[in-house]
Amino acid sequence: MEQNPRPKTILETCGEEIIRIVTPVSICMLLVVILVSVLNGGSSFDDGLSFATMATMAYSESSSNSIWDKLKGALLNSLVFVAVVTVATFLLVLLFYLNCTKFLKYYMGFSSLLVLGFMGGEIALFLIKVWSFPIDCFTFAVALYNFTVVGVMAVFMSKMAIFVTQAYLVVIGMLVAYWFTLLPEWTTWGLLVAMSLYDLAAVLLPGGPLRLLVELAMARDEDIPALVYEARPVISDAGLGDGVVRRRVWREGRGDLDEDQRLRSDIVSDSSLRTYGESGSERNIVDAEEGMALGEDSELAAPLIQHINIRMNSLDNAVSGENLALEGIGLGSSGAIKLGLGDFIFYSVLVGRAAMYDFMTVYACYLAVIAGLGITLMLLAFYRKALPALPFSVLLGVLFYLLTRLLLETFVVQCSINLLMF
Amino acid sequence: MDDDSRAALSNLHPVAGAGNLLPTTDEASSSTGRSVRIEWPTIDGPLGLSHEESLTYARRFFKLGFLFLPFLWAVSCFYFWPVLRHPHSHQSHPRLRRYLVGSAIGFLLFTTVLSSWALTFVVGGERLFGHVWGELVMYNVAEKYGLAGWI
Repeated sequence: MEQNPRPKTILETCGEEIIRIVTPVSICMLLVVILVSVLNGGSSFDDGLSFATMATMAYSESSSNSIWDKLKGALLNSLVFVAVVTVATFLLVLLFYLNCTKFLKYYMGFSSLLVLGFMGGEIALFLIKVWSFPIDCFTFAVALYNFTVVGVMAVFMSKMAIFVTQAYLVVIGMLVAYWFTLLPEWTTWGLLVAMSLYDLAAVLLPGGPLRLLVELAMARDEDIPALVYEARPVISDAGLGDGVVRRRVWREGRGDLDEDQRLRSDIVSDSSLRTYGESGSERNIVDAEEGMALGEDSELAAPLIQHINIRMNSLDNAVSGENLALEGIGLGSSGAIKLGLGDFIFYSVLVGRAAMYDFMTVYACYLAVIAGLGITLMLLAFYRKALPALPFSVLLGVLFYLLTRLLLETFVVQCSINLLMF
Repeated sequence: MDDDSRAALSNLHPVAGAGNLLPTTDEASSSTGRSVRIEWPTIDGPLGLSHEESLTYARRFFKLGFLFLPFLWAVSCFYFWPVLRHPHSHQSHPRLRRYLVGSAIGFLLFTTVLSSWALTFVVGGERLFGHVWGELVMYNVAEKYGLAGWI
């Protein structure tokens, strides 16, 4: 007697996948908005950071400059920033080409240590000061130490609880995004636009570093060690007609799937073989639960799209390494959607900056970013290759921010003042 | 073991020689209401670890937790929750379970000690500690050492 599971509708499979990527993005943005509104006290100051960081190396904005000066300065800063990021990405490609994966992994762990430990600690201190929270130094030290060490383990070890890993990635994204919102205003906006254009170029142009990286990874059938958020894959019920059992696959070593490797493979109801890639380069050897041959249908549902870890070293003494896994969105070799941490960060920076003006801009920018993300996901389903996730969302977001700030706000305020609407 | 659960599982292919692969979907088990057999030791289910690996990881978490890391013990208990939750299942791992119980006890003890100290500090305040309170509280310490000025 067979149980007939209700066939999954497209809303459940497709919608579930989209929700699993939109939710953490939204949570990250929400956290950054909360941080910004709590810590910046509602006054949007243009001065931003008072010391030189990499992002403000070329030009330090001050509110007394004219608009033209600010524009030029922002442009200069963004160019410098993009140049540094490009160099860093090429360095990453080189290291990956020379098989220094271990080194990259250690560096990833080290920079998440810095982000979680130092930046997390700083922001916690800010919060404690603002709220006058009477915590003593020992408890604080123990809590921070615990938080940091477990976070580094979650990022480093690929076999931690998925929820914990995802939560820590979101937290890392939030902390770095908050740091970016401390930059001067024009510089931030310039940076966002410049980074989305760079993203577009780096992923799609044939000579782009990220495209090179993805092709290298695909050629070698390897995972790039990177800070990448991988959504939990949607598992549909076992197909009835196949007679094939659902199992899991972990890739062992760098080999392809062959039968004598110890594998468990997961076969979705449409009987295309999907493998679950790993977001780290640690390989797990899975015991052979069954040795069922999976010769047929061994198409990998999507090519191995990986995401990149961009190391950025800001020169200030607080943070000496930040990982921005940029560029994009792609499909893990399972069909689970992977979104780079850099996308989380820049979306949150956009929304955080909008929050520094008013909440109206926050709503508008949030909708714009989610719409851009939806467009990107649709394109991803179409093209099935690595796509830059920044351009649509950021450009839409900037557009909506300008429109809201310049046009919508006056409209709404005037209507409210005259008791017409709202 | 049960006809109901057997019937419910019949849509899954039987596999020769797979001793511990007794596919128990969650729907099946909850619908039959029997005691769940632990198919997967981790909370991630099929995406998590296998039984052998779980032992290694649980042991590592347990040992590392002694470095003042109660949070790691908590994460370990969270991760291996199915094993902790169903002690008398078909595939119970006594050794794995021992590490988990140790982690859980360690976490509870450490948390009790830490929170009692923290609560004493907060509630007692100046009356209990005198001027030392001002020297121990975090925001003053941060001011004194300029810790919050880096960012």
